[in-house]
Amino acid sequence: MITVASLFSVAVFAPLLGALVTGLLGRVIGDPISRIVSVGLMVVSAGCAVAALWFGLAASAQAVAVPVSTWVQAGGFHAAWTLRFDTLSASMVTMVSCVSMLIHLYSVGYMSHEKNPVHRFFAYLSLFTFAMLMLVTSDNLIQLFFGWEGVGLASYLLIGYWYDRPSAVAAAIKAFIVNRIADLFFMVGIALLFLLFGTVSYDNIFATVPEHVGASYRLFGTSFPAFEVIGVLLFIGAMGKSAQLFFHTWLPDAMEGPTPVSALIHAATMVTAGVFLLARMSPLMEFAPVAKGLVVVIGASTCFFAATVGLVQPDIKRTIAYSTCSQLGYMFVAAGFGFYQGAMFHLTTHAFFKALLFLSAGSVIHALHDEQDMFRMGGLARKLPVTCAVMWIGSLALGAIPPFAGWWSKDAIIDGAWMAGGGLGGFAWTLCTAVAFLTALYSWRLLFLVFHGRPRVPELHDHAHESGPVILLPLLVLAVGAAFGGWLLRPWYIGEHQAAFWNGSIFNAPDNHVLATLEHTQGLIALVPTILSFLGVAVAFVCYMLKPEIPAQLARSMRPLYLFLLNKWYFDELYDRLFVRPYRALARLLWHVGDETVIDGVPRGLARLTVGGSSGIVRIQTGSIAVYAFTMLIGLVVLLSTFLLVR
Amino acid sequence: MNWTLALPEIVLSCSGLFILLFGVLQKRSEPSFACTMLTLVAFLVTGILVVVAPDGAGYHGQFVNDGFSRFMKILSLGAAGLAAILSLDYNRQEKTARFEFPVLLLFSTLGTLVMASSANLMTLYVGLELQSLAIYILCAFARDELTSAEAGLKYFVLGSLASGLLLYGISLVYGFAGTMEYAGLRQVLTGGAPLAAGLVIGLVFVIVGLAFKLSMAPFHMWTPDVYQGSPTSVTAFLAGAPKAAAFALLLRVLAQPFGHLAGQWQLLIEIVAIATMFLGSLAAIGQRDIKRLMAYSSIGHMGYAAMGIASATDAGIRGTLVYLATYLIMNAGTFGCILAMRRRGRALTRIEDLAGLGRTDPTLAVLMAVFMFSMAGVPPLAGFFGKLMVFAAAVQAGLWVLAAVGVVTSVIGLFYYWRIVKVMFLDAPVAGAFDHRAPSLSFVSAVTGVATVLFLLVLGPVTGAAQAAAAALFG
Amino acid sequence: MHTLLTDYFPILVFIVIAAGVSGAMLGGSLLAGWQKPYPEKVSAYECGFEAFDDARRRFDVRFYLVSILFIIFDLEVAFLFPWAISLGHIGMFGFLSMLAFLGVLTVGFVYEWCKGALDWE
Repeated sequence: MITVASLFSVAVFAPLLGALVTGLLGRVIGDPISRIVSVGLMVVSAGCAVAALWFGLAASAQAVAVPVSTWVQAGGFHAAWTLRFDTLSASMVTMVSCVSMLIHLYSVGYMSHEKNPVHRFFAYLSLFTFAMLMLVTSDNLIQLFFGWEGVGLASYLLIGYWYDRPSAVAAAIKAFIVNRIADLFFMVGIALLFLLFGTVSYDNIFATVPEHVGASYRLFGTSFPAFEVIGVLLFIGAMGKSAQLFFHTWLPDAMEGPTPVSALIHAATMVTAGVFLLARMSPLMEFAPVAKGLVVVIGASTCFFAATVGLVQPDIKRTIAYSTCSQLGYMFVAAGFGFYQGAMFHLTTHAFFKALLFLSAGSVIHALHDEQDMFRMGGLARKLPVTCAVMWIGSLALGAIPPFAGWWSKDAIIDGAWMAGGGLGGFAWTLCTAVAFLTALYSWRLLFLVFHGRPRVPELHDHAHESGPVILLPLLVLAVGAAFGGWLLRPWYIGEHQAAFWNGSIFNAPDNHVLATLEHTQGLIALVPTILSFLGVAVAFVCYMLKPEIPAQLARSMRPLYLFLLNKWYFDELYDRLFVRPYRALARLLWHVGDETVIDGVPRGLARLTVGGSSGIVRIQTGSIAVYAFTMLIGLVVLLSTFLLVR
Repeated sequence: MNWTLALPEIVLSCSGLFILLFGVLQKRSEPSFACTMLTLVAFLVTGILVVVAPDGAGYHGQFVNDGFSRFMKILSLGAAGLAAILSLDYNRQEKTARFEFPVLLLFSTLGTLVMASSANLMTLYVGLELQSLAIYILCAFARDELTSAEAGLKYFVLGSLASGLLLYGISLVYGFAGTMEYAGLRQVLTGGAPLAAGLVIGLVFVIVGLAFKLSMAPFHMWTPDVYQGSPTSVTAFLAGAPKAAAFALLLRVLAQPFGHLAGQWQLLIEIVAIATMFLGSLAAIGQRDIKRLMAYSSIGHMGYAAMGIASATDAGIRGTLVYLATYLIMNAGTFGCILAMRRRGRALTRIEDLAGLGRTDPTLAVLMAVFMFSMAGVPPLAGFFGKLMVFAAAVQAGLWVLAAVGVVTSVIGLFYYWRIVKVMFLDAPVAGAFDHRAPSLSFVSAVTGVATVLFLLVLGPVTGAAQAAAAALFG
Repeated sequence: MHTLLTDYFPILVFIVIAAGVSGAMLGGSLLAGWQKPYPEKVSAYECGFEAFDDARRRFDVRFYLVSILFIIFDLEVAFLFPWAISLGHIGMFGFLSMLAFLGVLTVGFVYEWCKGALDWE
């Protein structure tokens, strides 16, 4: 196991080294060396991660803790830097480091036209990768929170990378603040966990879960079951990071960052942290049925909401961003039904095809010199043949067309929802199935608008050119993953080998039979999503290839609905009214009244009083002896009377 | 009876008479330099005699010699000596160098010595008048200057009023207690007999008479005009030794004969101290003339020093004594700098005249800045320790209001002291450099400057002496 | 009451004698004197000034110098009388004290003489 532990450590810490070298010494060693160093270290990291996973599976060991150092030792509170190696963390590490490595490589090409040195960009990317690895390899909740905040910070830095664009800066701040709000709940959840269990270490918590099942909090005279409260609080933290409904507003805006960032952070890795958290905390979540119900409701709603909004967006990256939001909803639905394996499966396949889609979109944007409006594209298939091909593969995977990766994972989730049954299962199944249709529709809308038909803006079209090999190589690798990933990984993640694969790192309650009953889904029901996906492709073909006037007519005839979707269900406006404006008014009040009038007023008033007193005293100094003598006598009288009165 | 108790005073008065005769019989040249030197020698000899003079009371209970009087006498002699040195070149340049100046200085100092040793209200009055009369003449010494004559007259008229009040108070006390000796008064007051109202009214009058000499509000009105109008060499003296002597009287009268009534006069001193501190710090803000500013500054300092008396404890009186010691040092140094302010033979007193001094004469500017910071109470300069001790004493005595007012006014005071530093170092020079500094001024400023900066080194001995003096007063 | 009056009897005698002497002097000069009045002789005289005039006008400070010097030595004499009478009680210390006082005054006298305060011109 020594080799596994050391490989694992190298995989986690190589990106940190890359971040430090490029971040601190980037100015000294220059851009080319920075690029080589960070990409090289990422290759090392990815290689070690794959090797560690391989050897770990071969040894089929239980969880291994790799101690790094002590961190906090305060009374009964212990938190250490420890890497936790089990299948859950190892598979995540492998996925993260591989995707990150490809995106580092892609960035070398994508960022080559930047005017400013880009070592800062690579430092941030590596820092982000390190933080994400820290998050997934954590052995206790505090370390997890460190990684959690680390990715939040890196996300903020990368969204605002082009700090001379006001919109990018605003988007970065928005992402940070929305995440902070969710993190507040997460922190309270961690604190309550510590209060209940007296420890933040996973092993110690999970070992004593059965003892605390009946625990409850009393608040305002009502009794709340402890596990439900903690589960809901942790889930709210996950909602923030994973851009679920009510906390989703930051994700589309985050597309202001460079496209590799969108691909790495806002598609493949960071946003999946919430799903990972639920899988990691599965031993606890399994005892919080109400919280799990909430997860399903939120997940299914997000899934549907984001898909409808994605239908009408004109921006290529925002369309993909909403699809990310929607796919994350699928993962939460699975997690909510206790089908964590399915969630992890979809997470992994999604990482491949979503990264592929984003990077391809980046390639298109790159080719068109930063044009992102799909209605100004068209007919690019001939100009960008490779990009078009890989984007087709990515869309096939996303749209769940068999036998591409998405089909395996998404169908499993929809089947799981059906098999879970009950009102909740019916609700989730209906929405998820409908979204399968919508997904195919907006995916092919994108494809047809961008690559097929006639060019809408000839100048743009004429100057378009295929990207270089540095950009295309990662696309091809990811395309392979998107095409075959589902078929290859299915046996391990949810198929016949799953028990040996997960090896206890994911916990299912004894009465949780979703996985076992998956195969028993009725044939026709299992076919419905796939049929709807094909239908979506067909509708897209009709609307955007055969009769391009249909969408415009629809938008005109159902204008309120169209505007409702175009404006993202008016969430931003609602939040502006509900939170931003009252808060701004409060801040203005505290600024003008609290700070300017009261806090500044006191010293200013004192100064005025002093000056006034000074001039008053100087004025009685007239120079007249009579006045002086009179003052003395007055003083004498005052002193005498004081003395006689007080005595 | 022990004649030698008053030996220092006897020697000093004889030297005064001798110097007067020497000066007046000197026909050929103006003997002011020689007379000043002789005066300094007389101060030195007297100082040595003060140190070796035995303890005890004599002259039928009129005169007492103890640790307290010794401490105050040394302070007075030191301050007077520095003032005499400061006057050397200034008077010559102002064409007021006459040999009467050092003689009057000497007799005024003699008065302060008698005040410090008073054991009887009569001795107190005689000493006070001897000191004051000499100063009245000194204030009007530049008799061709209108302002100087005005200053002398104002001081004389108001001083007479204060003396009248003091005398009236003394007569009331005598009338109700039947004695003027401190020891006798103490006996009457601790005897347990019901306290006569006339006695305490007399006490208030006595306090008022002394508060006038200390220029404590509201009996301070004469101070700015007299400080500004008098020749600067006189102001330097006026702000030093007489203040210490008046404090000596106040301390002795309140602590010894009226010590039993501490609960009664504490409040009075507290009120006066608060008014004085506020007035000194507020009124100084708007001043343009540095001598007038120093007048208000000295008013404020008297308020801080009175804080120690208000606390009516050993520690408080020790604080007052240390405060006075540091005040005298800083005062002499500051006036050394002010006296050095002359351009093309004309003495300057406006604050704007200091503009750009940091560039034209860095040494003088740095010295001045040191004194200003010390007066404001910035550690580790001398002024800080005095303030610290009186504040601590006030807090220990539970006089929170007094201490709070002290802190607030110190902050206000920092403003106007800092303003001078700002003018010197940050403002652009308006005119050329000052004239070449006279050696006497350089000497005094340098010595007091070093003493101010390194006061920490002698803090222990000074505090020890002050402690012994305070113990003698209460014992 | 009786003793009080007896104590004050000598004063009565003094008053009677004083009245008698002054009456005799005024009466004698009135009867025996040779009178020849003229305006300068009958006008009021006060230290060289007009008797009824503005008090705030300038005048020669030497008048006051002389009068102040006079007061000093006048007071000296006023101290000398009680001292002379009680010399037997106060002994050598008292004697020397007055000598010191006179010495101080003498120094002052020397000073004013040398300064020329006693010269009219």
